[in-house]
Amino acid sequence: MTVSPLSPERPATPPAAVSSRWQTLALQVVGLLVILGIWWLLTDVLKLYPPYVFPGPKAVWTEISYGLWGNGPQDGKLLSAIGGSLRRVVVGYTIAVLLGTLVGLLLGAWRPLRATVGSYLTGVQSVPSIAFVPFAILFLGLNERAVLFVVILEGFIPVALAVSGALLNVPPALRVAGRTLGAGPLSLTLRVLLPASVPSILTGLRTAWSFAWRALVGGELLIAGSTSLGELLEVGRNTANVALVMATIIIIGIIGGLFDTLLRAAEGRVRSTYGLEVPQ
Amino acid sequence: MTRSSLISLLALTLTTTAAAQDAQTVRLGFFPNLTHAPALVGLQRGTFQKALGKVKLDAKEFVSGTTLTEAFAAGQIDIAYVGPGPAINAAGRGMPLQIVAGASEAGAVLVARKDSGIRSYKDLAGKVVAVPSLGNTQDISLRHILNENSLKSKTDGGNVTITPIAPADVLAAFAGKRVDATLVPEPWGAALEAQGHRVIGTEKTVWREGRYPTTIVIVNAKFAAANPQLVTAFLKAHADTVAFINRSPAAAQAAVNAQLQKLTGTSLDLRVLQRAFARTRFTTALDLAALKEYAALNVEAGYARSAPDLTPFLRK
Repeated sequence: MTVSPLSPERPATPPAAVSSRWQTLALQVVGLLVILGIWWLLTDVLKLYPPYVFPGPKAVWTEISYGLWGNGPQDGKLLSAIGGSLRRVVVGYTIAVLLGTLVGLLLGAWRPLRATVGSYLTGVQSVPSIAFVPFAILFLGLNERAVLFVVILEGFIPVALAVSGALLNVPPALRVAGRTLGAGPLSLTLRVLLPASVPSILTGLRTAWSFAWRALVGGELLIAGSTSLGELLEVGRNTANVALVMATIIIIGIIGGLFDTLLRAAEGRVRSTYGLEVPQ
Repeated sequence: MTRSSLISLLALTLTTTAAAQDAQTVRLGFFPNLTHAPALVGLQRGTFQKALGKVKLDAKEFVSGTTLTEAFAAGQIDIAYVGPGPAINAAGRGMPLQIVAGASEAGAVLVARKDSGIRSYKDLAGKVVAVPSLGNTQDISLRHILNENSLKSKTDGGNVTITPIAPADVLAAFAGKRVDATLVPEPWGAALEAQGHRVIGTEKTVWREGRYPTTIVIVNAKFAAANPQLVTAFLKAHADTVAFINRSPAAAQAAVNAQLQKLTGTSLDLRVLQRAFARTRFTTALDLAALKEYAALNVEAGYARSAPDLTPFLRK
């Protein structure tokens, strides 16, 4: 079996790591139960707050269960909202990744572009995506496209910066080796530079996901009128249904965290494949 | 969380939940709309302040029932002029409120953009319709109109997009063709009509032949229990104001315009104001049957799982 210098065999997970993983999981479960317990104590038991200000876990669970698998006429709203938001974020994120990769490649390849556009991108990234909503509405109308615009704008910058940064940080030895072995500019980029920058690009993809997800919910909240988690937040707020607001926030957090965990796992796998993770 | 912030948080909860004993101020919530004319006229003519005597009147304007209900929930408003939609939702969530009087009836119209091609309710299919805010009185009415015409909102799997836009911003949204139609309370309907847009649902065809409450008066139940005489005094001033509006509409319109000028920096064309007035009825009567129907429509619109029994919320 030949091993390419860029992909050494994955080191096997040592048994100690397995047991510590279970320990972490157990701790997380205990932590969650403690938080739920405190919440229940403050609301349902001590009644420190009226339910229309801070509802208890039971009320929120009612909203979650009806919203996800209830079968009444207005149930299942959370489920359809999750569907709508996920569809939107997948489209937006995909476009953001493609666009970001393209811009990143151009930035990595061309210094004048890096000096001008590259520095602006960092500036644009520091502006919260919500700030672009009025623009998006004016140019694209009160619709899907305006929400997507905000998501793409927020998502493509981390990808572009990660790709261009990664290309610049490829060890010079690899470039030289590639050229010596007869690679032209295109095949050097595609077959040496990009594969070598995969780990840093993955980090950029993960950042882009969390940015895109946040931008999406913010955009939906302001550009209501579609089936989405943002709209549910608005409806909950408008109908004095704080339990629905909290249920929606919890769902938004779970989805965001879930995808982040998946991307983190992929990232860790790739990093250890690339020999960047030292086994503890 | 540090100990001091915990203590201040506890103090805050205690102060907001404690009943206001012998209030020094009455905090009144209302919107700068024509359907809230009793509030505007009462403020402009000083009727409320006169009735409260030494107790200071602190009037706060809100954009929609949503923000007003939030302030109400946080215990920052004692008496409020509000639409039945938010009031019924607040009651359904157990907020301590009492519905004490009616203020205005009808006064909501469905206006279509002049070049939208919408001539009847049926034409709303596939269009974007604005309401002041999701879950407010007009939104609930609109969803009922859609139901009656076998249409559905996008959220319910249909093709009508219902989007929340403040009535004052609808003019610009029409100009930018971002919205095709809107269901708004007066004076916004008359203002849009003056710009050449088409009224496709008059105040009478929107719902119940125009016999529906658009604004009612609610009080915080804790405040009412602690200050019954203040509530009585306020309600008398409210009734006097409604009588004045019906007796001398011209003077009332001038008062409304002066108050709108103060609050929003813009006043309305007199003809717009007259038309809006003609579509709105001012009364202190509470149409309980209509309120109950609203509660049912609220369930139909998907904003509540059940209609609350309003009897405990009505002032004995």
